[in-house]
Amino acid sequence: MAWYKNIYDWLEHRLQLEGPIKHEIMHPVPRKTASWWYVFGSASFVLLMLQIVTGILLGLVYAPSAAHAWDSLQVLNHDLPLGWFLRAMHGWGSNFMVAVVLIHMAQVFLFGAHKYPRELTWVLGVFMLLMTLGMAFTGQVLRFDQDSYWGLGIGASIMGRVPFIGGPLVHLMLGGPMINGATLTRFFALHVFVIPGTLLAFTAMHVWMVLKLGINEWPTPGRIVRRETYIAEYTELAHKDGLPFVPGAVWKDLVFSAAILFAVAVCAAVFGPYGPTGTPDPTIIATVPKPDFFFLWLYTVLSFLPPELETPFLLIVPPIAVAILVALPFVAGVGEKSWWRRPVAVFSVMFIAICFGVFTHLGTYTPWSPIMNAWSGAPIPVELLHNRTPLERQGANVLQQKQCRNCHQLGGLGGQRGPALDTVATRLTEDQLIRQVLQGGGNMPAYGAALSPAETTALVAYLKTLRPHYQPPAVDASRGVVAMNTK
Amino acid sequence: MKTRSMLSIMFSARFAFCAVLLLTATLPFAGCRLPGKPGEGPEVPRPEQVTNFDTLYGSNCAGCHGANGQNGSAMNLANPTYQSLVDDATLRDVIANGEPGTLMPAFGTKQGGMLTEQQIDAIVAGLRARWNKGNVLAGQNAPAYKAAHAGDAAKGEQAYQTACAQCHEAAPQKPAQGGSIRDGSFLALVNEQTIRTTVIAGRPDLGMPDWRGLVKGRALSEDEITDVTAWLMAQKPATPGQPYPGAGQQGPARIPTPNPVKQ
Repeated sequence: MAWYKNIYDWLEHRLQLEGPIKHEIMHPVPRKTASWWYVFGSASFVLLMLQIVTGILLGLVYAPSAAHAWDSLQVLNHDLPLGWFLRAMHGWGSNFMVAVVLIHMAQVFLFGAHKYPRELTWVLGVFMLLMTLGMAFTGQVLRFDQDSYWGLGIGASIMGRVPFIGGPLVHLMLGGPMINGATLTRFFALHVFVIPGTLLAFTAMHVWMVLKLGINEWPTPGRIVRRETYIAEYTELAHKDGLPFVPGAVWKDLVFSAAILFAVAVCAAVFGPYGPTGTPDPTIIATVPKPDFFFLWLYTVLSFLPPELETPFLLIVPPIAVAILVALPFVAGVGEKSWWRRPVAVFSVMFIAICFGVFTHLGTYTPWSPIMNAWSGAPIPVELLHNRTPLERQGANVLQQKQCRNCHQLGGLGGQRGPALDTVATRLTEDQLIRQVLQGGGNMPAYGAALSPAETTALVAYLKTLRPHYQPPAVDASRGVVAMNTK
Repeated sequence: MKTRSMLSIMFSARFAFCAVLLLTATLPFAGCRLPGKPGEGPEVPRPEQVTNFDTLYGSNCAGCHGANGQNGSAMNLANPTYQSLVDDATLRDVIANGEPGTLMPAFGTKQGGMLTEQQIDAIVAGLRARWNKGNVLAGQNAPAYKAAHAGDAAKGEQAYQTACAQCHEAAPQKPAQGGSIRDGSFLALVNEQTIRTTVIAGRPDLGMPDWRGLVKGRALSEDEITDVTAWLMAQKPATPGQPYPGAGQQGPARIPTPNPVKQ
């Protein structure tokens, strides 16, 4: 007998794990569930493992102190061999994990997996999603750069809006009235001990229930879930038309997980680690902090909401959303599982996905936000200065120097707060331009007090030239009427 | 037969798997040129520590002076004649403190700007390295950057008609292809130095020759340049930029001015 067989037998004689494990992994699953649609849960688990392994390695170097965190990330990025790759794997792993968890959730919802008897599996899953997002946020804080600093500021100001206990909550979150050394220690404890510990325990329960209750069968229209008959029907399906999980279904999980890990590695190698961006110093005002992609939608929503709606939105919508998710299996715990018979479910997922996509896309280029260095950094396209008179060129200088470009684009460069000015002369007459510049309006401030008459004249002279040669300039329609009446 | 083909399939599958694994494992070691590897230094240095000329020029100067120092709305920096005309101290002063009477703002931290002295030095050094083609004015008897004495505006008109009128305008309201430079608003937004520098160095990016090419057959003299500058500045009206010429001078304004808003 080979030596490794001896060791195995010695261990097995004492542990006696072979029987239970074999029983679990060989349990029959319905044949149709051995599908590529059923791989996202295991991929989330594999990504969690990747995050734990890379996280432990990062924890060996990372210094959770406000004074040293940023520097320790620089050490990882520049001084340690492959330290940057480790950071990139952890960062991209977190992105993939959020994405795969969301896909997993949408898939089980569309397949009706939250219905009887898997309600608790779903509810645990909802909390695991919240913990995954919590890991993402606390992880972004640990990066302790400009984004992290201001992200904390936003988080604290959201907390501070809770009625009555807002102040103490902020104090609890930041470890003081402001962002300080204790803040980072707290978030380190959350990111490294509290949330992952709970997440692992929840994951164990989640997987345990999947094993005990069986994987959700492939939904068939007309196959109605009834509390009285479901278990018997499922057992019959799994045994009559089933196959053992290993090796019947497991290989797809393995291949997909490997592909996801490979994709994480490729992203890490090609796009590299996240930041850290600038040092977390509030005296640096030349910064445009942004959350990581999974919170960009929230960033967009908060930018577009009128100020008086922000607090209600922040304090009422998240609890309602969580309550809806938790209540879902209890409200819709039986009945049809198939998406062909659940149009509301399908349209809800589509609606949420489209909103998430659109808000995230807007968050990437922030059309609501002025670009504060466009006035000195965004050149005017050469063709928009061609054949201009000296006065018009001075007008272009006024346009730049008075920072019009921070909100108005020319040639695709500049802010998008106001309309692009490339063809403004086809829309506004000289009088209208003068009025708009001096008095503002339509969200634009009045510049009358900031411009001398000469500057206004030069600016408007330049703006009047901004139209394509094939389009006529804007005309005051009333002039034609007056001219006709005076004839 | 069947076993053999199964074996060969398994073998090739295993081979492919090993190859992918090997590739993945060697990916991070595949030389130092992985695109994701961070470059030297922090990704975002503190703003006052940026001394790269391209970054500084691109975010502070390009807006008005053009992406490559030419074809911008303001002075043509990529002009070897200009580069020879102006010295380092002047460049540093104009960047730090702005040019009074013009739209060139002050960028130095002492004047409320964002650029430190080291950064301004880096910009000056970069301007020189990029666009200075050696002293192209050596032996050309070029006028100095600053006028040595005040100009005589009375003599300036003659110089204007000789040197400027053909491209700009011979009489008011009759601009030629170069556009008017007697416009009150234009004159209110430039100072004597703008005109002097433009006359001497020209705007090669716009096709305006330097002081040697303005009059056929000879270069403008130092006195002519000083006089024409003085005469042009004297053309600036008392109340420039009024949309209805003369409105500021003839009695009460035609449009009642609203009560001044308290700032």
